Amino acid sequence: MKILVIIPAYNEEATIKNVIQRISLKMPQADVLVVNDGSKDNTSLEAKRTGAKVIDLPYNLGIGGAMQTGYIYAKENNYDIAVQVDGDGQHDPSYIKDLIEPIISNSADVVVGSRYISKTNYKSSVFRRMGMIFFSFLVSILTNQKFKDTTSGFRAVNKDVINYFSNHYPVDYPEVDVLVRLKKRNFRIAELPVEMHERQGGKSSITTFRSLYYMFKVSLALIIGTLRSSEE
Amino acid sequence: MIINVYSLSIMFSVFFLLLVIELVRKNKLQERYSLLWILMSIILLVLSSTPVIIETVSRWLDIKNPPSLLFLFGLGYLILYNLGTTVTVSKQSERITRLTQELALLRQKITEKDS
Repeated sequence: MKILVIIPAYNEEATIKNVIQRISLKMPQADVLVVNDGSKDNTSLEAKRTGAKVIDLPYNLGIGGAMQTGYIYAKENNYDIAVQVDGDGQHDPSYIKDLIEPIISNSADVVVGSRYISKTNYKSSVFRRMGMIFFSFLVSILTNQKFKDTTSGFRAVNKDVINYFSNHYPVDYPEVDVLVRLKKRNFRIAELPVEMHERQGGKSSITTFRSLYYMFKVSLALIIGTLRSSEE
Repeated sequence: MIINVYSLSIMFSVFFLLLVIELVRKNKLQERYSLLWILMSIILLVLSSTPVIIETVSRWLDIKNPPSLLFLFGLGYLILYNLGTTVTVSKQSERITRLTQELALLRQKITEKDS
């Protein structure tokens, strides 16, 4: 089984090296690909120093476009499993083997590492928490499946989903949107409890100021998305 | 010649039509985007040079001031055209994203081969 770990990174020079090294330590059989989304700092250089594969986007495409670049790479190079991990150190690589386990045993097409199920020491702001609860509620209604953490970017997918993502991937704030799209195409999504750390450096792409706009935009996209004909 | 909303509208449509044709001639506007502009200026020209059309329609629609139908037409046309433009922009931005991705993937492949 060929496994690719995709790390989308925008200005993560402080943490990227550490993240890659921890992944290589826990998952020596996997290839690591950093998609540098037009960073203005030394993210690319720091990543290359570790020997990881690095794709440099010439300008900032946004998380959706960057993630999709990783999935196109996975498809072209014939990977069986792709795992996405944030570049800021929030996601603990020791859980990757748990994430890919249901995919190897073919009991799920997509596995989401959720910070809300049971054991977790992750703390977030009240406001952010409210948004997450709101999205869980909305996505659960739209998909008819209970989701605890729809915004987690810690995920593993199989080959069918890699193929699908390389053709269709939402542009803005894709984590939530993608669940609804996948579910509509009858992919099996599983959620798995993982521990998450506080981000070790850099800044979250979601600021309080933008949160409301974000919630509005994603909700709209989700609702219109369910009306969309079965593809594009 | 009397200066009123009709004569102004005639002058504007003629000027606009010439402007569009000039832009196409100089390759600053592609033919396919010019067609709807040319259509608009011709409709506007017809409506403003034969007031009887909009006066009749205004009576049907119970519009007190017939020239306001000219504005309604212009406004409606612009709104629709603008929507069409954003559709074009969306399609183009999708293509640009794809090109960017392909370019970055190719560059990675080349540097990998070199090293």
